[in-house]
Amino acid sequence: MAFLPLIKAVLFAAIGFAVGAGATTGLRNLLGMEPWSTEPVVTMGYVFALIGWLLGVGLWDAWAREWFGKQPKEPLHEGWARFLRFSTDHKVIGVQYLVTMVVIMLLAGALSLLMRVELAAPGQTIMGASDFNTTMSLHGIMMIAVAVATVMGGFANFFVPLMIGAEDVAFPRINAMSYWIVPPVAVLLLATPLMGGFDTGWTAYPPLSVLNASGQLLFLLAFLTFGVSSILGGLNFLATIIMLRAPGMSWGRLPIFVWSIFSAALISLTATQSVALGLLTVILDRVAGTSFYNAAEGGNALLYEHVFWFYSHPAVYIMILPAFGIALEMLTHFSRKPLFAYKWVVASLLTVVGLSYIVWAHHLFTSGMGDYLHLPFMVTTELISIPTGMVFLSGLGTIWQGRLWLKTPMLFALGFLMNFVIGGVTGIFLADVPTDINLQDTYFVVAHFHYTIMGGEIFAILGALYYWFPKMSGRSYNEALGVVHFWWLFLSYNVTFISMFWVGILGMPRRVADYPANMADANLFVTVASFVLGASFLVFAGNLLYSWIKGPVASANPWKARTLEWQTSSPPPLENFPSEPTVVGSPYGYGVAGSVHARLAPAGGSKEQDGQS
Amino acid sequence: MLELLIVPWNLFPLAAAEEAAVVDNAFKLLMVLATPVFALVVVTVIYSMLRFRRRGEPTEDGPAIHGPRSVILAWLTVTTGLTILMIITPGITGLRELRAHASEAPDLLVQVQGGRWFWKVTYPEYGVSSTKELVLPVGKRARFEVSAMDVLHSFWIPAFRVKIDAVPGKITTTYATPDTLGSYDDDEHMRIQCAELCGLGHSVMRLSVRVVTEDEFKAWIAESTAK
Repeated sequence: MAFLPLIKAVLFAAIGFAVGAGATTGLRNLLGMEPWSTEPVVTMGYVFALIGWLLGVGLWDAWAREWFGKQPKEPLHEGWARFLRFSTDHKVIGVQYLVTMVVIMLLAGALSLLMRVELAAPGQTIMGASDFNTTMSLHGIMMIAVAVATVMGGFANFFVPLMIGAEDVAFPRINAMSYWIVPPVAVLLLATPLMGGFDTGWTAYPPLSVLNASGQLLFLLAFLTFGVSSILGGLNFLATIIMLRAPGMSWGRLPIFVWSIFSAALISLTATQSVALGLLTVILDRVAGTSFYNAAEGGNALLYEHVFWFYSHPAVYIMILPAFGIALEMLTHFSRKPLFAYKWVVASLLTVVGLSYIVWAHHLFTSGMGDYLHLPFMVTTELISIPTGMVFLSGLGTIWQGRLWLKTPMLFALGFLMNFVIGGVTGIFLADVPTDINLQDTYFVVAHFHYTIMGGEIFAILGALYYWFPKMSGRSYNEALGVVHFWWLFLSYNVTFISMFWVGILGMPRRVADYPANMADANLFVTVASFVLGASFLVFAGNLLYSWIKGPVASANPWKARTLEWQTSSPPPLENFPSEPTVVGSPYGYGVAGSVHARLAPAGGSKEQDGQS
Repeated sequence: MLELLIVPWNLFPLAAAEEAAVVDNAFKLLMVLATPVFALVVVTVIYSMLRFRRRGEPTEDGPAIHGPRSVILAWLTVTTGLTILMIITPGITGLRELRAHASEAPDLLVQVQGGRWFWKVTYPEYGVSSTKELVLPVGKRARFEVSAMDVLHSFWIPAFRVKIDAVPGKITTTYATPDTLGSYDDDEHMRIQCAELCGLGHSVMRLSVRVVTEDEFKAWIAESTAK
């Protein structure tokens, strides 16, 4: 029965909730307090429900049994039902993450269209300010989750072990757990409207986030839970990349995508703990009556902004570093040239990791923090241009004089370069204190971060979905529709978001449901463009969905690429390779006579031979 | 003013304070620095797509260029130079201009309080306050002492290009020297706009700003005191 683990998980979650909620009311009663208080009861109920959910979905069968001296049950390795349960196969987990995140992306995209309808004209059009705030906040946090977990959960899971020649990740069961933590996050977020919604955006600044409707609590619990998943993921990829590289896979032969995941995982593991602390203190202020952020009792609202951005600025590099890796990976294979300045790019990725921890207060130039902090944070922030510039040199140097094969993934990689440069240079306007004082909290900021995350990272992700689709599904997507999707999206995307810079310069604050009449024309223009953009995703979803079921069968290496994931069948077998590969050279030896990346010893009836093409 | 020659179009809405000129000039200078960087990337990508394209399955590899040291070092030198230039100007020079008068006594003190969802302005020197409009005399440097009654807000006057958050339990300050007569009725940028999400009424948490002559200002004060 395919759905049995999910049914069990829901049942265990319900029991867990009853236990947590019951214990809380009972304890309150014993302490002589009013037994029922929604937020403490919901919080404790949720904690136990989460544990119940995890045990029910398979953590008990596959793992916890052995703590009590029992034999763990062998997981399912065949059929589509394995995607609906606790699987420890990194490829299954990768697909679970990718499907979940693409669905969340499409939902959150639909929310953004609702916002654009409301903003098409001044005054109220389809929803009041309260619903707008919840819609906007949900769009924000859902897209943040997509931006963090699509690559770090999806592609990293599926491809890091393959690209380093490993059988799986270092901690397969922790890996499965970090995925199964995510569905409760989605449920909590989608349930926020039932408890009054939340109106703080994804940043959740107190005191507002302590004073508003209980929907905020669900958001805080969801974000905190998601943070736990990120921390575990970061730990797992660091251990995997350090410990499980195939023989000969020295650090200097690591594909750039793996380096980018290594860099992002460093941040995931360390910085996420800071935001977890920030969220926890807001939860305590709400539920336990502490006063971290209540000025009347000696708290400090500004403290949260520092703690929050101490994670959340590094977090944007969890999003963009892997996008650099993906884009460079595709640029080199589709240009048939070695990756330009490989070692310098690796150094640049690590430099960005280092700098990412010391730039956070550029989000706080107008917050009222000490003026003397403006200059140092402006300097550290603008220094990031230097390593980022190196990534651009690498991209441009790689395509120069190449043999460009303009397949859909390559188009997205080139689109990434053109979009991200706009995101990069507009970032300078926000790092520069004099201009930021005016632009902070306007649509200029909205346009800027959409250029980096959507124009940058999401373009890289879409390219990667096409690039690795044959490997993951064993089938080919429709190339013509892929090209249509790219051009449709690229043009409508730029029209929509370039206009948002203009709206921002006109003086439109971000996160508003209404605006003065002078901005009406510009906003109507953006709304119309955004719908053209949204429609392009129908082509994308239709193409990939149909191709997954009925597309022509793909070969092992349709792109003639040199990295290891293409040297095994599509999709790869459970153990990834027929025998352990031996790495003997660079993955990017294009144009070098006799260059070989890896050798796969023939074994078990496999016909796989040398890794060169 | 080299940048004014290269960026002739006027992107910006009404600028009605001395500080606005500093901010707009910094913006223009950054446009001048950013445009070649943007152009270099886009032109290289488009040129490569046209010039180096191969149709059909790849039959050969490109040249094995791994990245000559000279090119990499030249690129690093240029990007580092540009970054340092941006930090110095408009970064440090702009900051110095904005703070040039920080130690001087202001001509006028205005206390600004943000609450859900309204603004209250008080002129302690005159014992006058208003929740209807912010009236300022032209050419006088005003010091704004901003505070919040409940949650975070942000005091922003788009026409002045000046912004500072209102934080509960804290007084934050900023300065503006209006240099153009006008009011919200003439131009929507003459408003205080809350710029930090504060809940239901955030979008419409605005207050009209009116810049008047010194005589008109005195008359307004006298009239408000009489009430």
